[in-house]
Amino acid sequence: MISRVTATSMTQTAMRHLQANLTQLARLQEQATSQRAFSVPSDDPAAAATALQVHAAQQRNDQYARNIDDGLAWVTTIDNSLSASTSLLRRARDLTVRGANSGSLDATAKEAIAVELQGIRDELLAQANTTVLGRAVFAGTSNTGAAFDADYAFSGTTGSEVTRRVSDGVAVRVDADGATVFGTGDESVFALLDGIVADLRAGTDIGGRLTAIDDRMSAMLGVQGTVGARQAQIERAKEAAVGQSVSLEARRAAVEDVDSVEVLVKLQSQELVYQSALAVTGRVMQPSLLEFLR
Amino acid sequence: MSTFSGLNAAASGLAAARRGMDVVGQNIANQATEGYTRQRVTTQAVAPIARSGMFSTGVVPGQGVSVTGVARLGDALLDARVRDAAAAAGYWSTRAVAATSAEAAMNEPTSDGLAARLNAFWAGWQDLANTPDSGAAAAVVLTSAQELAGRLAQGYRAVSAQWSDARTSVDRNVTQVNSAADQIAALNRQIRDATASGQSANELIDQRDLLAQNIARIAGARATVESDGTLTVRIGGNALVSGTDARHLAVGGAASIEDGTRVTLTWEGADAAVSVSDGELGGALSVLAPADDGGTLAGLAAGYNAVATALASRVNAQHSAGVTSSGAAGGDFFALAADGPAALGLSVVPTSVADLALAAAGAGAVDATNADAMSQLGAADGSPDALWADQVLRFGVATAGDVQRARLSETAQVAATSAQQSVAAVDGDEETVSLVTYQAAYQASARVLSAIDEALDVLINKTGIVGR
Repeated sequence: MISRVTATSMTQTAMRHLQANLTQLARLQEQATSQRAFSVPSDDPAAAATALQVHAAQQRNDQYARNIDDGLAWVTTIDNSLSASTSLLRRARDLTVRGANSGSLDATAKEAIAVELQGIRDELLAQANTTVLGRAVFAGTSNTGAAFDADYAFSGTTGSEVTRRVSDGVAVRVDADGATVFGTGDESVFALLDGIVADLRAGTDIGGRLTAIDDRMSAMLGVQGTVGARQAQIERAKEAAVGQSVSLEARRAAVEDVDSVEVLVKLQSQELVYQSALAVTGRVMQPSLLEFLR
Repeated sequence: MSTFSGLNAAASGLAAARRGMDVVGQNIANQATEGYTRQRVTTQAVAPIARSGMFSTGVVPGQGVSVTGVARLGDALLDARVRDAAAAAGYWSTRAVAATSAEAAMNEPTSDGLAARLNAFWAGWQDLANTPDSGAAAAVVLTSAQELAGRLAQGYRAVSAQWSDARTSVDRNVTQVNSAADQIAALNRQIRDATASGQSANELIDQRDLLAQNIARIAGARATVESDGTLTVRIGGNALVSGTDARHLAVGGAASIEDGTRVTLTWEGADAAVSVSDGELGGALSVLAPADDGGTLAGLAAGYNAVATALASRVNAQHSAGVTSSGAAGGDFFALAADGPAALGLSVVPTSVADLALAAAGAGAVDATNADAMSQLGAADGSPDALWADQVLRFGVATAGDVQRARLSETAQVAATSAQQSVAAVDGDEETVSLVTYQAAYQASARVLSAIDEALDVLINKTGIVGR
């Protein structure tokens, strides 16, 4: 059927095409200004689903980065504290060796050693009660605020650990067991030093205590090695988290963000199309037979 | 043959031309009237008077022109195509509009969406696991839990409100259909009477076709013209308008989204169901259908409820597995109202850090094993997050389909309307040409009249005066 063209149908066609052009222009403008490839899921359902997953992964990764920083604070504190404790214990061992030479020491010299050993015991106790943000790092999950009290009783719970989640499925222990490092009650390093001081003052030979000091020292060094290994693990996790955040951001950008250049070029050409459509419509709508009848 | 017969023929030409100009005037006046179909004067040459008697009077010319009627240049087939296309366009555009506005209310994937709230909630548990003795971190978790419950309720309410709006629009549409049916029945009577008495019913037919087109768009009705000129309108095979009788539709069934039943249409007074599967009403009914029948809105509402239920059961199970800092077993974290939709009935039970079961049983007072396990619920299989992401994806795909089909059916409707308009619409240029033609015809007829008049003048006034 050869269709008859009327002014009405031409107006309607022109209106429809102008509207379509304007819709396209508005869509491109929205993309260019928001820099988002889609505004609602139905624009691109698959991309929307990916975006949701990537957003969740990004949030988790950000959280892991915070956990890692917190965990590092714990392990470095413990590491420092253990270093200080081992050097204190080494000094105590030197003093014990000197105190064991009973023949060459008079009472005053022994008393001086005893006083210094007492100071070392206090310092060790302070190290054992080191805290991070109010939490005693050697007390595990206890909330008493100190790992060892004045009677050298350990407040931590055996077998319960403080962990930090550093990635999906990986949680790292960030505390150290105070009982293993310092011993508890009468078996503790503090009680040991007290014993040496008492023997020294009483004039008893303290040479036999050296074995106990060496045992304690090796226990401390063992824990320090474990803590160092965990610190390395957390630092590796930190690097992984940084890398992960870069790659997640790249994935998010690939899914959600528009290619600016492409959108701008499209926008320019669409503007041209719209302006041409307006100009053509303006010319076509004008004439009527009446203008040519005189 | 009469001496004056030529005058009669010229007079009939004048009358026909004037009638032609009148109709052109009517066309031009209604150039922008919706539903107007252009008209044209139909004329017929008048045959010579039949001879009577036995004497031949020689060759006799015709007796001028007679106006036989005013034709309406519409095409019933094209009108029917427009109605069919309008019915399909009404169905899909109603669905597309409902789906896109529900989708916009979801706010996904943005930082205001439900998914972002869920992520923030799980992340809050990690911060709490790092500092289980901190009231601040606990407050963050409790606040984000309340925010999450609020977001679920808000999303559900948006869907529910949209459902109510769509339900109201069904009522409004049915009222429109009923009143249009009454008008068509009244017009049928007028048109039948006018046609029977030989008058023009063109303008009435235009009005009736416009009404039939509206009913088609709203309720997907089919219409056929009967031999007596009346229009029969059918919905689902049964007559809405037949001759001068109109029946009415009535709405029943579910009054709110929680009813979970269908919204039904019946014939008023007859209590028989009307099947409307086309037009805006058909679209609205499919949008309003229960979730089991694929209803768009009820499906989304069920999605919110499923997320709320999964969230409550998973979080509660994990929370109950732990103990609080005082060693008491953790109870429910979320409470679900006994009746009503789950998305609206979600509330947070604990009020402070002391109520939160962060520790594993038997561990220290500031153990956070349970809080850590809680934070991992979001990434587990079948988690509320996964349910929601799946819901967003499915809804997005369905919406994209509806929008695509709405666009297609609009295109089909535009094509059908253009075809109809190409026949029925008034064209200014064409009418101008007709006007000029009729004007010239009028002038020529007038010239014929004066030529005969002059000839008669010679015969009457100048004849027989020789030598006077």
